[in-house]
Amino acid sequence: MIDNLGFALEGAWKVLAFGLLLGAGLPMVYAVGIRALAWGAGGEAEVDHGRPHPAGRLVAVVCFAVVLAAVALGITIIVASGFGKEVSFEHVVPTLVDKR
Amino acid sequence: MIVLALVVVTALGFDFTNGFHDTGNAMATSIATGALKPRVAVALSAVLNLVGAFLSVEVALTVTNAVVTIQDSSGAPREDLLVDGGAALLLIVLAGLIGGIAWNLLTWLLGLPSSSSHALFGGLIGAAIAGLGMSGVNWNGDGTKLDGVVGKVILPALMSPVIAAVVAGVGTWLIYKITTGVAQRYAETGFRWGQIGTASLVSLAHGTNDAQKTMGVITLALIATGQWTDLENIPLWVKVACAVAIAAGTWLGGWRIIRTLGKGLVEIDSPQGMAAEASSATVILASSHLGFALSTTHVATGSILGTGLGRPGAEVRWGIAGRMVLAWLITLPAAAVVGGVMWWVGHLLGSTVGPIAIFVILVALAGYMWLRAQRAPVHADNVNNDWDEGQVPAPAAAGGVAA
Repeated sequence: MIDNLGFALEGAWKVLAFGLLLGAGLPMVYAVGIRALAWGAGGEAEVDHGRPHPAGRLVAVVCFAVVLAAVALGITIIVASGFGKEVSFEHVVPTLVDKR
Repeated sequence: MIVLALVVVTALGFDFTNGFHDTGNAMATSIATGALKPRVAVALSAVLNLVGAFLSVEVALTVTNAVVTIQDSSGAPREDLLVDGGAALLLIVLAGLIGGIAWNLLTWLLGLPSSSSHALFGGLIGAAIAGLGMSGVNWNGDGTKLDGVVGKVILPALMSPVIAAVVAGVGTWLIYKITTGVAQRYAETGFRWGQIGTASLVSLAHGTNDAQKTMGVITLALIATGQWTDLENIPLWVKVACAVAIAAGTWLGGWRIIRTLGKGLVEIDSPQGMAAEASSATVILASSHLGFALSTTHVATGSILGTGLGRPGAEVRWGIAGRMVLAWLITLPAAAVVGGVMWWVGHLLGSTVGPIAIFVILVALAGYMWLRAQRAPVHADNVNNDWDEGQVPAPAAAGGVAA
């Protein structure tokens, strides 16, 4: 019972850390992207709908790319583990290797 | 042979209820905010569940080991249960599955999102207690890793909704901090897409997680009867059948539960929907990767609740939340009682008549609950009606397929 509680707490804080980093962090990056996309554009009250700032578009593209890359990496890790592989970060660029 | 066929059919039936019971976990928020049309949402979720069921090929053969002791750690069934063609093991599994389905259907009728995994485990625990006594249940594991009813079911059930709620709450708060004042036309489109993406991830994760359980149960039954001997692999037809069953269930759409999750608990906006699903997807995927077993339902509900807490001024209907928590607490014991009673009835009537009799009881129960649901249907056309109309809204003018 006590053993299990220890293991559970150990797992729980890891999941919480991952969750906050990715589950709350990535939506935040995404939100920054949306904010950037609308940079320079007026609100609903504006009549002429001025074009947003081009630099904002660039920031937005970077933000969305980061989110997409993270999601793609996440899916790869999950799928790979199903096929007896794992993703290694040893050489910085993620590569697929056999599971140890 | 007849009994084996009944077990396979019942297991697929459980997988089907698992599908429609959990559609809301992924899609309730997208449906509530209008990011996806109800029927498009359930179709998308169904396809992703189908894909997900094939994606993870990790052997799920030892699934019952978490709670009961009918297999050894390699996945082989216990020797003493194999006499008489595995009849003893089949009866435990069949009674357990019936317990799981009965509880899934009842909670669906009441529109309560309860955990399908808990229902299955509860059913198995009840049947194992009835058939093998208290020693038939793996309460605590052996102390070397997170295991047993306490480690794999109870503790994760207490912790996972809290974790999901914290993550979703923080995510929601950040999103609103960052995007306040951004022109609606950007925010609305952006977050709709974000929502669809994250909800798709949850569907995929659900397919990889939940379909495995049924595959493991069916393969166990096949091994017990000598129809399959390989402990490393699952027969292809089992994989296909389970994937199709869970996808078909998802496609049917558990509208009653979708309504409670999407409209009842919290009034949801697109940014909240995205935060909730992002939290669910990460928590589910991270924990299944770390071997921390949890219920998709508990995580999804926790996330939706958290997103109501994280948005300043949003309202959480605590009465509904309380009802859900109550249902969670009852799920395991209630399914266990049904599983136990079913085992007892099946055992009394003998090794051939017994399983057939309890299967008939299941069909009768399912039919009754389906008829009850038809009297006040919730479907794609009224699922989003104002919550003030109640859990079951007034019938919409156009009749849809109710589920």
